[in-house]
Amino acid sequence: MRGLKYQLKNVLRDKFCLMTFLLPILIAAMLNFMGSIDMSSLGKLHFGVLKHDLSPQTVTWLERYGSVTFCETSMELTTAINEPSTNIIGVKANGATIETIIAGDELDIFQQAAATLPTLYQQRTDVAQAEVLILKRPDILKNVQGIFIPTMLIVAIFMSCTFNAMNIISEKEDGVAFVNEVLPMTPSQYILQKIAIGFLFGSLSAIVTACICFQLSWQNFGIMLALIVLSSFVAALIGLFIGQLSENLMIGVVYIKIVMLVFIVAPILHALIDMNELLTMICYLVPSQPSFEGIMALSSENTKTAMKDIGVLAIHCITWFILYVLISTRRKKQAI
Amino acid sequence: MALGFLVLYTVYVNMGYIRFMQMPPYNVYLYDPEGTQIKKSSLVQIVPFMEVMNNALLTDANGVGLDASTKDVRVILYMGAEHIDRHRTDYALSLLHPSDSYTPTVIGTNTPEQKARKEITCELLFFELTAVGFLGIAAVLFKEKSMGVIRVHAILPLQRNLFLLSKLMVFVLSDLIFAVLLTLLNVGFSDGAAVLPAVLLQTAILSLMMTLVGLLCALLLKDFRQFTLAYLVMAIFAATPVFLSANTSVKFDRIGYHPFYQIYMKLKNAYFGETIPLFYYVGSAVAILSLFLIGQFAFHREIEKEG
Repeated sequence: MRGLKYQLKNVLRDKFCLMTFLLPILIAAMLNFMGSIDMSSLGKLHFGVLKHDLSPQTVTWLERYGSVTFCETSMELTTAINEPSTNIIGVKANGATIETIIAGDELDIFQQAAATLPTLYQQRTDVAQAEVLILKRPDILKNVQGIFIPTMLIVAIFMSCTFNAMNIISEKEDGVAFVNEVLPMTPSQYILQKIAIGFLFGSLSAIVTACICFQLSWQNFGIMLALIVLSSFVAALIGLFIGQLSENLMIGVVYIKIVMLVFIVAPILHALIDMNELLTMICYLVPSQPSFEGIMALSSENTKTAMKDIGVLAIHCITWFILYVLISTRRKKQAI
Repeated sequence: MALGFLVLYTVYVNMGYIRFMQMPPYNVYLYDPEGTQIKKSSLVQIVPFMEVMNNALLTDANGVGLDASTKDVRVILYMGAEHIDRHRTDYALSLLHPSDSYTPTVIGTNTPEQKARKEITCELLFFELTAVGFLGIAAVLFKEKSMGVIRVHAILPLQRNLFLLSKLMVFVLSDLIFAVLLTLLNVGFSDGAAVLPAVLLQTAILSLMMTLVGLLCALLLKDFRQFTLAYLVMAIFAATPVFLSANTSVKFDRIGYHPFYQIYMKLKNAYFGETIPLFYYVGSAVAILSLFLIGQFAFHREIEKEG
């Protein structure tokens, strides 16, 4: 316990550790309270029209499919269509019908939409009578929106890793690591103290972030807590690995960046792309994948998947812990 | 390390990104046991049973099902976004009564693949210069500082500006070489060569700015640890909104005032062959000159401190 007190004292003096603790909380607060991101525009088509060219009825009809931007001149319309970050389809009146203009570099789906728009315009009165059955399914776009918050939470959980890695590297740089070796402290005590530090701060950071971002029932909060605690534990262990492997701060930062990238990219790719079984298995080897999936499942009230992810995380915890103990015991033997 | 990232980026663009960035038109499935839909388009896929259609829709959530087993055709689709759902419905129904094929007027010069290649290369170059390369520059400068290179320069009979200029030259030159290789390997030789002069000019501007900022950090901050803090803040708060606003329809209020956004957009304009206004160059020159003067001041102060 006294060792833990010293570790805490050491960490609290370290501004980098404090910053990594506060960063996800700050961003979560920003996303929640000050976010002015207009995500709704991702789920519609975008049309560019000349002012006073189309009739108000045609504009209203276009607005059924997406947003309409008015341009003063043809030049302005051409620039808007050619703008690479958008997929604006130019629409002009052509007698009783309409014609479309594209840049030609749009994805096939937008090119097809532009090619069929005049036909849809001609048939606009017929289609209104058809019966439409919309089946319920988790909204894909809501998931895209929802990805931001779980990603933030993954970053918060990952702070356990940064905490431990930075902590050990700074001890190495200051020579405290050598002092530790001659202290009357067993390797298991050392491992537990180090894990406890990263684990405590990572969990705390993630719990505060979760409280800001989610309004959960008590039962779901318990599952979320389990997900956070297990993920933080694995992240803290990985931090120990990075700390042991890095010779100095610069190398440590590079390792952390690579691990962080893998931690964030794997679950996002898995969420956005249909993967085959092999790729899914590979993604599950990254501990952030079950955490991310569990958080996403909880946000859509799917406790069954969340429970499965807790199981996967528990396996991760045991495997990484055994691996770390084995490697450090071997190193110790080699050193002797 | 830069070479490693160059290989990584090239593999990612050619093996991964170009494949991911494909979005075919919606598939339309028709269940028509009586064969009532005679005029249907060739784009419609006929299914023999309703179960087949249900399974097809389950795996292809963007697809639309048309059930013509009753008198009026019924449209079946999985819920997506409101506007897109309306479009999918009308599009699917229009395929039952196709008109003469219509081709929209094309006013651009790029194909979808060319656009994807230019976009991702621009993003990777910006990311490399502002994040990865910048970290490398700062790491080298901090190492030199800790080795006492500045102290050595204070007693060398050389002009003091030479230190700053030599650092600038080395880093800008290496960034330019990186930009040439990245552009030619990922955009393609003919397309890449056409945009290269404009891209190199923008790379030089960005590289000069980042090197000077890195140099300033190395001179003003105590050690690499302090720098990592500044770097973390810059990477998250400066780069993320720029990427979101510049590449997706997600827009932040007042993003135009973000200096990184302006720089990124000009680099993107260079890749897409669009003209860049003169006042941007004037503004960049003023910014680089100011950064250089501040750097010079900080360097002289550091030398005086060293005695």
